Amino acid sequence: MNATERSEAILVSCEALVVGRAGRALLPPLDLTIRRGELWGVLGRNGAGKTTWARTLLGLERAVAGRVTIPPGVRRTYLAQQRELDAAYPLRVRDVVGFGLERGTSFLRRRGLEHRERLERALEEAGVGALADRPFRELSEGQKQRVLLARVHAAQADLAVLDEPTSAMDATVEREAWALLARLRRELGLALVVITHAHALVRAHADRVLVLDAQSVVSGTPEAVLAARSPFDAPAPEESHGV
Amino acid sequence: MESDSRPDSAHAELDAFDRILDEAEGHGSPSAPRASEERAPSTHEREHEHEHEHTHAHESTPSLSDFVERLELYRDPIACGVLAGLGLAGLGVFVVLRRAVFVTAALTQAAGLGVALAFYAAIHRGLEIPPVLGALVASITVAVLALGTEARLLSREARVGIAFVMTSALAVLVGTRIAQEAHDVSAILFGSAVLVRPGDLVNVAAGTALSLGLLALLHRPLAFTGFDPEGARVHALPVRALEIAFWAVVALEVSVATRALGALPVFAFSVLPAAAGLAVSSGIVGALSVSMLIGGLSPALGYVGAYLGELPVGATQAAVVAVSTLTVLGVARARRRR
Repeated sequence: MNATERSEAILVSCEALVVGRAGRALLPPLDLTIRRGELWGVLGRNGAGKTTWARTLLGLERAVAGRVTIPPGVRRTYLAQQRELDAAYPLRVRDVVGFGLERGTSFLRRRGLEHRERLERALEEAGVGALADRPFRELSEGQKQRVLLARVHAAQADLAVLDEPTSAMDATVEREAWALLARLRRELGLALVVITHAHALVRAHADRVLVLDAQSVVSGTPEAVLAARSPFDAPAPEESHGV
Repeated sequence: MESDSRPDSAHAELDAFDRILDEAEGHGSPSAPRASEERAPSTHEREHEHEHEHTHAHESTPSLSDFVERLELYRDPIACGVLAGLGLAGLGVFVVLRRAVFVTAALTQAAGLGVALAFYAAIHRGLEIPPVLGALVASITVAVLALGTEARLLSREARVGIAFVMTSALAVLVGTRIAQEAHDVSAILFGSAVLVRPGDLVNVAAGTALSLGLLALLHRPLAFTGFDPEGARVHALPVRALEIAFWAVVALEVSVATRALGALPVFAFSVLPAAAGLAVSSGIVGALSVSMLIGGLSPALGYVGAYLGELPVGATQAAVVAVSTLTVLGVARARRRR
């Protein structure tokens, strides 16, 4: 890949990005570039600011300082933690997965054969085809997460940010889910940012790792960041962005 | 006396209301306020009137065949109730899902205040404002103030509560300044459901057509933005515009329906059928269908029930909605236990 192609493949650039709440910084400034097809694992203790960072990346929260640049036309999708979803809504599984196909004012257009095919394919690929007509709110937590991964598949986005998408799954299903994510990355060129506590799966699947805590942020390859130490140890100086 | 300074339209509007009530009494309509009492009566006086009326309004016990004979007379108010029930019950599904039930109550009071202000402006200031426009402007203002701002000082519930109390009190206070010659300030501000004014049916039909059009076109994005608002924002759905469009249509439908039928049935149609629809359906379209079925049938059944039982129409319609809702919820519960 030449320099131009590499530059075109950049989906997100963070420059001296400081995230926080009510104007108060939660993390040190961060420079970061996410490219097409990369899988990023985002690790850190509870309350470290992982979700705030992800929401700022997507423009759902305002940065305290610095900036995030996403080129026009980059299609994004986001899976919030399940508790952010309103369980009162009477939705079938196919409705929830179908939301992945909605973008902008697409709801004003008539849904054709392509829409139905994408929906069915996403249901099957995520292994939830048999649940398609079940009420979403009656599924187990693990099943719901699989349905939401089907929604990511249906979205056919360029960038997907997933906040603890496998936290309620048992070990076997979690491995299958990560395999699905890896396949999406490979087949669709999707860049994935996955907030998780599953260190072993990050080590196995991720291209890059970002470790967040209040004192420092560390990024690099899984080997470099995870192999030598626990992700919560003090970072090596060349990889870190200190306070 | 203020009435000498009334513009013709305000006179005409109040006179038309009087005629409708007179007509209702003359035909033995269910629970029509009596035309012989001219001053705005107190609640106690009105209750006494109704008791008196129930004893004497019908010389013999009303029957279904009497009702069918006079169906022409009741056709418009029944149609108005059915249309309002359909529109409000459909919108109500998303009102209930957005946990904004009390907003509808505040909007009905705001509509009454808007009508009172329109009459007040005509009588005391010589400004010609159609009452339904006053109702609409007041409802949309309350909807924007209660839902549209991101004030951190007060929660949405607190803002809606303040709006409800203020609009209720102001509607009564302003209403006493316009109703010295009218039968019942409450019926003028909020409608009576007994007989509808000319134009009410058209307004309600237009409001319902708009409501059903909005639901047909936007039920999927409204579900997405309610279920996962942040996911919808990331997918570039116009979340704010959808909310504004939805609440504007709710304000419109509540305004015209309140003006025609009264606050109680409008609140009942907006909340109860939706609760039943959501309890028994596993999809949005199913919930909308069940809700609109209950919302569409109950006003007609309520009207017939009020005629046969010589009961107040609005309250009977609200009671029929409540009974239908409880029945559906009971059936749903029994099915789940099995």
